[in-house]
Amino acid sequence: MIVTYNWLKEFVDCDLPPAELSHLLTMLGLEVERMEEVGGGMDDVVVAQVLEKNQHPNADKLSLCKVDNGKEILDVVCGAQNFKAGDKVALAQIGATLPGDFKIKRSKIRGEESCGMLCSEKELALSTESSGIMILPETFQVGTPLFDALGTKDVIFEIGLTPNRADCLSVVGIAREVAAKLGKKVHYPGLDVNEAGAPIEGIASVEILAPELCPRYTARHITGCTLADSPAWLANRLMAAGIRAINNIVDVTNYVLLEYGHPLHAFDFKLLSGGKIVVAAAGEGEKFGTLDGQERELTATDLTIRDGAKAVALAGIMGGGNSEIGEGTTEVLLESAYFNPSAIRKTSKRLGIHTESSHRFERGADIAGLTRALDRAAQLIAELSGGKVAKGVIDVYPAPVEPRVINARLGRINAVSGLELSADEVEDIFRRLEFEVTATEPGVFQVKVPLFRVDLEREIDLVEEVVRVNGFEKVPATLPQASVFSDLPSDAQRLAAKVKDLLVAHGLNEVINYSFVAPSSCEKILLPGEDLRSNGMVLLNPISDELSVMRTTMLPGLLDTVVKNISFRTLNLRIFEMRRIYLPVEGEELPQEPLYVSALLTGRRDPEGWNQGKDEIDFFDVKGIAENLLAELNVGGVNFSADDLDPYYHPGKACRILSGKKVLGSLGELHPTVQENYGIATPLYYLELNFEALLACRKKQGAAQVPSRFPSTFRDIAMLLPRELPVADVVSCVNGVKAPELEGVEIFDLYMGGNIASHEKSVAIRVRYGSKERTLTDDEVTRLHQRVIDALQKKLNVSFR
Amino acid sequence: MKEQLEALLQEALAELSQASTEEGLQELRVKYLGKKGAITGVMKGLGALSPEERPLVGQVVNTVKAKLEETLDARGAEIRAAVKAQRLAAEKIDVTLPGRKSPLGSKHPITLVTEEICSIFAALGFAVAEGPEIELDFYNFEALNLPKDHPARDMQDTFYFGESVLLRTHTSPVQIRTMLKQPPPVRIIAPGTVYRCDSDATHSPMFHQIEGLMVDKGITFADLKGILTLFISQLFGKDIGVRLRPSFFPFTEPSAEVDIACVICRGKGCRVCKETGWLEILGSGMVDPEVYRHVGYDSEQYTGFAFGMGIERIAMLKYGIADMRLLFENDLRFLKQF
Repeated sequence: MIVTYNWLKEFVDCDLPPAELSHLLTMLGLEVERMEEVGGGMDDVVVAQVLEKNQHPNADKLSLCKVDNGKEILDVVCGAQNFKAGDKVALAQIGATLPGDFKIKRSKIRGEESCGMLCSEKELALSTESSGIMILPETFQVGTPLFDALGTKDVIFEIGLTPNRADCLSVVGIAREVAAKLGKKVHYPGLDVNEAGAPIEGIASVEILAPELCPRYTARHITGCTLADSPAWLANRLMAAGIRAINNIVDVTNYVLLEYGHPLHAFDFKLLSGGKIVVAAAGEGEKFGTLDGQERELTATDLTIRDGAKAVALAGIMGGGNSEIGEGTTEVLLESAYFNPSAIRKTSKRLGIHTESSHRFERGADIAGLTRALDRAAQLIAELSGGKVAKGVIDVYPAPVEPRVINARLGRINAVSGLELSADEVEDIFRRLEFEVTATEPGVFQVKVPLFRVDLEREIDLVEEVVRVNGFEKVPATLPQASVFSDLPSDAQRLAAKVKDLLVAHGLNEVINYSFVAPSSCEKILLPGEDLRSNGMVLLNPISDELSVMRTTMLPGLLDTVVKNISFRTLNLRIFEMRRIYLPVEGEELPQEPLYVSALLTGRRDPEGWNQGKDEIDFFDVKGIAENLLAELNVGGVNFSADDLDPYYHPGKACRILSGKKVLGSLGELHPTVQENYGIATPLYYLELNFEALLACRKKQGAAQVPSRFPSTFRDIAMLLPRELPVADVVSCVNGVKAPELEGVEIFDLYMGGNIASHEKSVAIRVRYGSKERTLTDDEVTRLHQRVIDALQKKLNVSFR
Repeated sequence: MKEQLEALLQEALAELSQASTEEGLQELRVKYLGKKGAITGVMKGLGALSPEERPLVGQVVNTVKAKLEETLDARGAEIRAAVKAQRLAAEKIDVTLPGRKSPLGSKHPITLVTEEICSIFAALGFAVAEGPEIELDFYNFEALNLPKDHPARDMQDTFYFGESVLLRTHTSPVQIRTMLKQPPPVRIIAPGTVYRCDSDATHSPMFHQIEGLMVDKGITFADLKGILTLFISQLFGKDIGVRLRPSFFPFTEPSAEVDIACVICRGKGCRVCKETGWLEILGSGMVDPEVYRHVGYDSEQYTGFAFGMGIERIAMLKYGIADMRLLFENDLRFLKQF
């Protein structure tokens, strides 16, 4: 909503400077989003007098002028011809900036110096068209800034209205707010209509066939109009509000729309068949040509304004081309009506037409005040077009609406707000808002709310009005006296933060990808069409096809991130994302949204550097991260299985992660085809864990172990194993030796190739022995170690080296 | 003999002063003090002396030996010090070369800001609640006093999966789910991901909010102002200006936008605050009785407030990020700064 400073001041006495008024409006909930001075910053455009007008020596179409700006005589080259020596003109001096950020500089035009520019109305944004430069009245003082001389300096406020404040979609509405805040009265314009014409009853008639969609329809008739351009004051105000001036009749309807907030429509009366208006639903499939030149197909739920034969307007939204004011219009039927907001909204949405009119009707117009707008517009049209207003008003209003009466308790107002207002203060605020107040019992107000305040229905709405007009700044800042209770963060929240910390500690960078992905993403990671994950939920109205399916796996997003970063030459990547995926559930409206921890690594293990390792990341880097994470979260019974892998993994370099038999996730090198599908040159290592599954498999934290005070002893074993034998079997075989002194086993070497036969591998382990009571003797250790060797030999048939 | 000893001492001292390595010193030690050394040689002649002379010369021998030992040790220390100094000088490295590093991880700025805000509210006794991102119309709109065809639904461009299933447009449905689950009092915050179909420099189709809700007996609008003022001073610093101004949300009444003095220009007016000196960071208000009706709370007995803020907005202000899209481009060169 746009209002100007001067326009507002026509309705309310307010001597606040524009900046303070802007603050006042914002603090009333009418947020000023933009404030702009009209003619502001243009003080370098001044009234000047042309002293001489000579032919430019080098150009036929240019003249070379001597111009007096009140201080000095300047040479100015001008291309226009519509002026003569002695004329007063608008001179943009050097340094001036014209609309469109056009800076005036000293220049040479065809060899002659020009110290400024003589401006047209268009160049000064005073009109949209102009022929030649602007010739100013004789009376203007040379040297005065042009906009001071014109008296059109103004300030535009652009107000971002909240959807509840339909009443403020007008200058009068905003003036009402200012008046309420300042404790002033609004000056409503005089509404005497000079009814010089014949009685309207004999001229036109109105019939409402759909009273639930149109509870009130009023009309006036004006005859003898002469179509012309609107005067500058009117056109300028429309322009300030961003509305194009058309002619003196249409412009008045727009002007009054801005002034009163009530949409009006003017019909060329001669084009109304039978001189009548019928308000009725459209026929199903009826075609109708709107003012914008488009043909619309209507349905039976759309409300139309019709004449004796056809639809002439889409009620409350847009008029029809068939009854438009234009060349040859002399008789006008002016409509001011009330239409059902949700009906207007439905039609406007379905047809995709949003107009100043529909915007207001769908938020709720003032059913009582609509005749004021009608009278104001009829009078203005008559004045501007020389027409005569017919005597009387047609007002079809079968069931007049009564203003709402709401009870408001003083106690409630103070209890909700935390203020301590007296009954007088509250009553005063209600009266300033033009509400009628009667106090029926102490502390209870019976408030009759004017019909223009469609947003006020309940006591709480009035509480807000009081706090708002009284001023939010007057509300104290207190801390609640709450009952003592407080929940600590849950395990899940605490551990989610811990997981992130742990991944960061492993050098991973957190990323956040969109939750929606491209439909092709599952195919790109080789998931078959029948996989549950290939059937994610599809958005009906996505931003783009690339963002149209809710992700069912984190992998595609992470791969896209890798691709993007590699394109920026960031080649060593360790990224993770801990967010939700969305898995549809058969027979349920809402999907499951499990939280996943996923990581993707590629490139070198260490940062680049003169002294850094040059190795590439491999399977065991990502496995190590997973193992640390599971250990840190105290997940029990962790085991890894190379079976049943997802198709996006390298079949030989990946595993599932389990706790007992429960699957927690998986990790491994991605399938080379996935790598190819994304055009990534280096192998990628992926980890995914279902966070909720992790939580469910946590062991209870046991009592802390006291370390032995005696040193441990190590013994190494090197052995040859069949290549296919998992090393995990060696470890579990050693651990299977039941001896309290056996403290642990570690694999410290693995070797294949060289002089080792191709079906074998060499593995070296280190077994640690110790006791909590004493230092073990060499003999004791040797006996224990022999048991380990025997077990390995017996169970796994290894050969020792 | 005494003279012979003195002469030997002088000779030894002279040689000692010439020695420059520990090996050289060791040779001299052997030469003079060793089993076959010069001093030892002289001492072998002691037996030939008279019993009266023997202790006298013996004393001289001891003095000479002691002097020699002492000098040997001192010279040894000198040489070791010199050798060490030489070694240290030779070992000088270029300390301007970069150190050896492990890869450095980082949390996303959205995570950092969310954690910070949650910890501030945790200290004020707010528990963290969560809810689904794919929501039913009822929780996202209907129960929040946003019936179908309400113009306020235009404020939030919604992604739909069907008639009644949608991507939540705000974290407010968590309020409803929480209140339906538990009787008052309630004191929660709900961080989460939300969606609106909008995409440009200041809008992302996916973004994050934190919702807060407190319902109890006797909670006032002044309490809302107090809690939010306290929160903002913890997040942005004690001196930051705060103002509440009237606004409209269907699920609160009265409703307030909360502005802070522009952190860029400190209230003077700049491009970031569109010359107003203020930055909008929060929407808030007293929970509308209509919302209580939907969750079965008695609005005469209980009052409360709710608030919601965009995490991106706060992250952008805290870290001086001008374009919201940077937060979702996942450019590691950007993310590694956090």
